[in-house]
Amino acid sequence: MTRPIVVIAEHLEGKIRPATYELIAFALELRQAMPAPIKVLILGNDPEDMAHLIAAKTGLDVMAVQESNRPRYNGDLYKNILAPLLSELNPDYVCIAQTPMGMDFAPGLAHRLGAVCITGVESVYEDRGRILFTRAFYNGKILADICVQAKTAVLTVAPGFFKPSSADPAAPGRVEIRKTPGGEARIRTVETRKAPAQESEIAQAPVIVSAGRGVGKKENLALIFTLAALFPLSAVAGSRWICVAGWLEHRRQVGLTGAVVSPKLYIACGISGSVQHLAGMRDSGFIVAVNSDPHAAIFNIADICIVEDLNIFIPALIEAHRQKT
Amino acid sequence: MKILVCIKPVPESEAPVRIAPDGKSIQTDPLSPLRMNRYDEQALEEALLIRDTFPDTRIEAISVGPKRSETVLKRALGMGADHGIHICTDIENDPVPAVVAAWVAAAARSRNYDLILSGMMSEDGLHGQVGPLVAEHLSLPCVTAVVGIRITPGKATASVQRVPAEGLRDLLALSLPAVLTIQSGAQKPRYPSLSNILRAKGQDLEIIAAASLSRPESFQQAVRFKYPQKTRFGRFLEGSPQQKAQELLSKLKEKSFLA
Repeated sequence: MTRPIVVIAEHLEGKIRPATYELIAFALELRQAMPAPIKVLILGNDPEDMAHLIAAKTGLDVMAVQESNRPRYNGDLYKNILAPLLSELNPDYVCIAQTPMGMDFAPGLAHRLGAVCITGVESVYEDRGRILFTRAFYNGKILADICVQAKTAVLTVAPGFFKPSSADPAAPGRVEIRKTPGGEARIRTVETRKAPAQESEIAQAPVIVSAGRGVGKKENLALIFTLAALFPLSAVAGSRWICVAGWLEHRRQVGLTGAVVSPKLYIACGISGSVQHLAGMRDSGFIVAVNSDPHAAIFNIADICIVEDLNIFIPALIEAHRQKT
Repeated sequence: MKILVCIKPVPESEAPVRIAPDGKSIQTDPLSPLRMNRYDEQALEEALLIRDTFPDTRIEAISVGPKRSETVLKRALGMGADHGIHICTDIENDPVPAVVAAWVAAAARSRNYDLILSGMMSEDGLHGQVGPLVAEHLSLPCVTAVVGIRITPGKATASVQRVPAEGLRDLLALSLPAVLTIQSGAQKPRYPSLSNILRAKGQDLEIIAAASLSRPESFQQAVRFKYPQKTRFGRFLEGSPQQKAQELLSKLKEKSFLA
């Protein structure tokens, strides 16, 4: 019997996360290289409605695993429930989203299955009878094509690389409901807080000037603000590091754990272009990148590339603008 | 309390990394210095903050890497770690996370740590696997991408915060011993103090030859390395900074971003 490709759906507060449909797009691409049935697995305390929705939208078979004691994601429980279930399903590949949730349980799950774990998969293709998975190293400066030699591979799929198809399926997939007692988890959710709703100016701004570690020191951020002031309706944003260092407020953070933005113009100053940052700004209309490292990954997605120290270049740009006006 | 912090030595961000001519490996400059992976630096800072609160805490740092990784462990001692363990490999290239985790777990198994901390991922490999895999080897609970830790005094429990998705924060309780991987700390990692640097200079590291440890199958092979393709054919501007500024300005005006 052909071994399946299993997709672990991600959901939060009763809603399917968009990453789930990206995972399904990835699984469909994997199936082009290796024909196999795809089964979507959704685990939660009330997964039935979500399972039917996925089955209707994708036409794929969905298994809903109900564990009624805990309303929230629990990494310990995910591994406890999924490991025996997946051993039973015996998949070639298990596809998990490269999100804070997916990254929490994927490596441990792989270990329990005796599987190999490849994180951050950006593409898949068949080459001379082998299936190769591409992932990034060194902040995206180098990519590697990885060949899996284990019976089962647990793959986490990088966000933004697989676009869900909008084609309506001919018929919905089958939905199977299973109940599990879940058992004891060594980790307990005490509470979940919602961050105070702050109107993020970066979500709406048509122009974003964004600062990365290349800024060097906090005082140099004044340059970024001066540059942003040249544009009407602009906002200043930053990479994760700038926000973690406390140089900019967290609401200005762009990336996987921050905001996803798509302004008309994105000026990346001293940003290397880590996979996490690119996930937040890849869809910007026009991208200008200033970085002293000519091999920075940000240049791979920029429209205008400027290899310069931003502390020299930005004053030159501001001065050039001043002279023209 | 006894804490182990896993620290990966990584090349300087600006250090050149190239693909070997045969396309089968990544070449880093063996002469360029290695530094502490920044996420691991945050993990070490979290351990030091715990010791600031509970002074009888002992912090040990562990690294896997070639001989020159010692400088990174010395820095950890300089920042305040009490002891450094170096699993010394004889090759420059990284072993895969499954191998690193098996070695770290082997070294940690009999030492009874209450807490094992690591960064959520390394800046070079970006795998994010070593912490969770060490937890599995040692059958410990694991929480990844932690942004805050509070140890309950006198009880073997911790409460930790993590961000499960944008705009949300989970507060989790777990029993110790446990493995936590750190996304970011509340405070900036401290600089090594002079007294600690002097202490570190005279302190020997514990060396474990990687060859003496059993190496699990990696079950994966990097068939080839390649440079990423550009998704946009961006133009590199040429000339002096002033010339580039003029050209960018013209482009921004042409596109009506500037008046």
